[in-house]
Amino acid sequence: MASRNPFLPYIATLKEVIEETPTIKTFRVVIDDPAEREAFRFEPGQVAQLSVFGVGEATFVINSPPTRTEYLQFSVMRVGEVTTKLHELQPGDKIGVRGPLGNWFPYEDMKGKDILFIGGGIGMAPLRTLLLFMLDNRSDYGHITLLYGARSPQDLCYKEELKEWERREDLELVLTVDREFPDWEGRVGLVPNVLKELAPSPEGKVAITCGPPIMIRFTLQALAELGFGDDQVVTTLERRMKCGVGLCGRCNIGPRYVCKDGPVFTLRQLKELPPEL
Amino acid sequence: MIDKLKEAVREHLEELELVIGYGEGYDPLHATPIFVRRPEEVDRLLWNPLCVYNLATYLYGLKGKKVGVVVKGCDSRSVLQLLNEGLISREEVFLFGLPCSGVLDLRKLAERVDVGRVEEVSWQEGKILVRTREKEETIPLEEVLQDRCLSCPYPTPLIYDVLLGDPLPPKGENEALLRQVKELEELTPPERLRYWKEELERCIRCYACRNACPLCVCQDWCAAEARDPHWISMRDGVKEKWMWQVLHALHLAGRCTGCGECERACPMGIPLLRIRMKINAELRELFDYEAGVKEGERPPLLTYQVSEPKIEEPKW
Amino acid sequence: MKFLKREDIPGLLGRLSERFRVYVPVKRAEVVLWRPWREGVQPALEHQGTEPPKAVLFPRSETLLRFGCERKEVQVEETIEAPPTVIFGSRPCDARGFLIYDRVFLDEGNPDPYYRARREATTIVTVLCLDPERTCFCSTVGGGPLDEEGSDLVLLPLEGGYLAKALTPKGEALLGDGAFVEASEGQLSEAERLRERAKMEPLLELDGIPERFNESFTSDLWERVSQKCISCGACTFLCPTCYCFNITDERTPEGAERLRNWDACMFYHYTLEASGHNPRPTKAERYRNRIGHKFSYYPSLYEGLFACCGCGRCIKSCPVSLDIREVLRELVSYGK
Repeated sequence: MASRNPFLPYIATLKEVIEETPTIKTFRVVIDDPAEREAFRFEPGQVAQLSVFGVGEATFVINSPPTRTEYLQFSVMRVGEVTTKLHELQPGDKIGVRGPLGNWFPYEDMKGKDILFIGGGIGMAPLRTLLLFMLDNRSDYGHITLLYGARSPQDLCYKEELKEWERREDLELVLTVDREFPDWEGRVGLVPNVLKELAPSPEGKVAITCGPPIMIRFTLQALAELGFGDDQVVTTLERRMKCGVGLCGRCNIGPRYVCKDGPVFTLRQLKELPPEL
Repeated sequence: MIDKLKEAVREHLEELELVIGYGEGYDPLHATPIFVRRPEEVDRLLWNPLCVYNLATYLYGLKGKKVGVVVKGCDSRSVLQLLNEGLISREEVFLFGLPCSGVLDLRKLAERVDVGRVEEVSWQEGKILVRTREKEETIPLEEVLQDRCLSCPYPTPLIYDVLLGDPLPPKGENEALLRQVKELEELTPPERLRYWKEELERCIRCYACRNACPLCVCQDWCAAEARDPHWISMRDGVKEKWMWQVLHALHLAGRCTGCGECERACPMGIPLLRIRMKINAELRELFDYEAGVKEGERPPLLTYQVSEPKIEEPKW
Repeated sequence: MKFLKREDIPGLLGRLSERFRVYVPVKRAEVVLWRPWREGVQPALEHQGTEPPKAVLFPRSETLLRFGCERKEVQVEETIEAPPTVIFGSRPCDARGFLIYDRVFLDEGNPDPYYRARREATTIVTVLCLDPERTCFCSTVGGGPLDEEGSDLVLLPLEGGYLAKALTPKGEALLGDGAFVEASEGQLSEAERLRERAKMEPLLELDGIPERFNESFTSDLWERVSQKCISCGACTFLCPTCYCFNITDERTPEGAERLRNWDACMFYHYTLEASGHNPRPTKAERYRNRIGHKFSYYPSLYEGLFACCGCGRCIKSCPVSLDIREVLRELVSYGK
């Protein structure tokens, strides 16, 4: 059977656009062709390249879990050429979806364990996928905590869902913003510092973190101080990507390609790679 | 001259972070830029007609450090232009000036000897001896120097902290290069089109020309690779390469000091200097201006006059 | 074994051109380029090309997809072009370059359909080297001047022509042309003598270089060896084993085209992220990645095969004469 041309995107239609923050929008897309839509199977943590035809492609985590397939969701922060054009799209516009690409969260290994999600800003996007997946398979996992912080209250993503998650009994939610704000009654502090305050025990836990590079760095440090082993910490990385399938050479860290062998890495795997974050 | 250079470098090395000069290259026909930091390394410096490289190209990237650099006459013009444009500061460069009688054009030499298999090179008064396994050839230097060296107007550096040789008189006023420009000007437009189509067709957009140029300080954010606005298509046609070369040459108008590194660096041997010499000649005529010859001079494209003396405004 | 007379080559190329697109090395100014053969074109078979024939299988710019955008609808068209092709006059180093591409682009789990189509449609005819240049170091990286790996037909230069040997069915198919006659005993023994003389000793032992590279990763060696580099793309674009590319969209009257173009890890923007963060902000990191890819990362993925064929073009084409052999010499003895 001839394999599909890895550069060929599926044509999809943008169904809904949600403004999360002044710079982040969430897109819900549906692949047009019913057979292609049906065949699009993915795991939590995998990414896809979204095309704006005539402008280019950019990589985003598939933000919705494989357990909820009425649409594919992507959260996009406006930073460059493609994301700016993406933000101009309206429901009904056509978009390209190329994927699923990369590896996924090793959720099989996490079964039976307590889960600690640590997210910063747009880093919540990949964590949402896994979190919803776990909530949809709740009995497979132990206690689930989500520590999520942003620069300010308006920079928090998924605000409506956060309210839902706060109400859930089977999920512990800790929100924080970097500093004091007039209408904010929750915690104040940088995510790594709040993590240290919470001082979770590493016993039987897996920590999954994603956020801006500097937040990841300090979070990894804090987790190490708290006694989390290299196999207990999982993160998902970002790199400039083009082909998304390990051919163009650009997203490598040592011999591994973030698009193909990642973007999900355990801390143990990261430590085996050259220090080139 | 080399001994005076080594002495001068030894003398000043302490006050400098490093000194960029010429050292032995990978075969008898090549020198290469070397970065001297310690006294033991000074003996690696050499000086001969293989020292083609314009070391001023490193200066912008080394801003913030006090560096020494060896400059020939043409190189010193690049330094002057960088200073005149405020891109580097005078206190941060220490210039070891070497008057130069010309450097080799390996492409010319390749017409006479098998440059890929040279075993030994030696120099005699005005001659170069090249020995390959098959034969030995003695060639008058004048026949294999760069065209720009044949009528070099500035063999002696125009700016320096120490001058390590006797000043040399000008060889001419760039007649050799201007003749090439004239040859092209005398072609009819269709002939000129054919010529440039053939020459530019082999451009591979490696940007060696751009990165070798001392004045191309915006090489990491180049208009040729910009996406927004998207000036030049990435397609591999003559049109696109033409656009790139013309864009590059125009961006250097009033800034190009005619050092020829662009042409020398081009792995495809495209006669790029010719384009720039034409523009330089135009600027000479329109504004009486030559880049990098007078310290403190303001480049004409950075000035504004309501009415230019040599440009005829349309009468509305 | 067959023999091909030098004066019969134009006729052979003419007949091949009826069935194939034939690429030959041609001399233009002082450079040797790969161009389609036409009547009257004199192939410069005695020279290693200034550029390798890599653009024949891996074009400098190719259209991957065409998008027709009308109103709100989008049609996608794959544009895979692979006419039957002959590369006539490559060198063993060039053929080796294609082998390195094959491991990446023909990976069974994830083949590149564009490369695969072209590769399957192309026959490689290689001229073996009896007199390498000073910059050649193919035998140091696992190749050699008489290396036959990767070629379909090899030609050994003899008096008056070439001894021809087919290595694959594609090569066999070419030998059917009348220009190839039976080689004589004298020619066979001449060939033996020349082969003996053409052996090239490796410059240095590259055993353990992946480990030395990893050990040297954080040392200042990289800043030192790369300080004269000017971060252009000459070495990358002329390298038979470099395959980095960029994918960009361009608008067309009908909609858009997605292009694949050569790129170079030596450029600043290669890993520049939209946020402004760049994991390889200086030439030291970029040069380290280049050497790392060729002599550590690629070998670790493909049974120790170096992503370098020792052709020496990077040395010759570098505007500042950076010599990769010097870097390897330093690496090999790192830590000792």
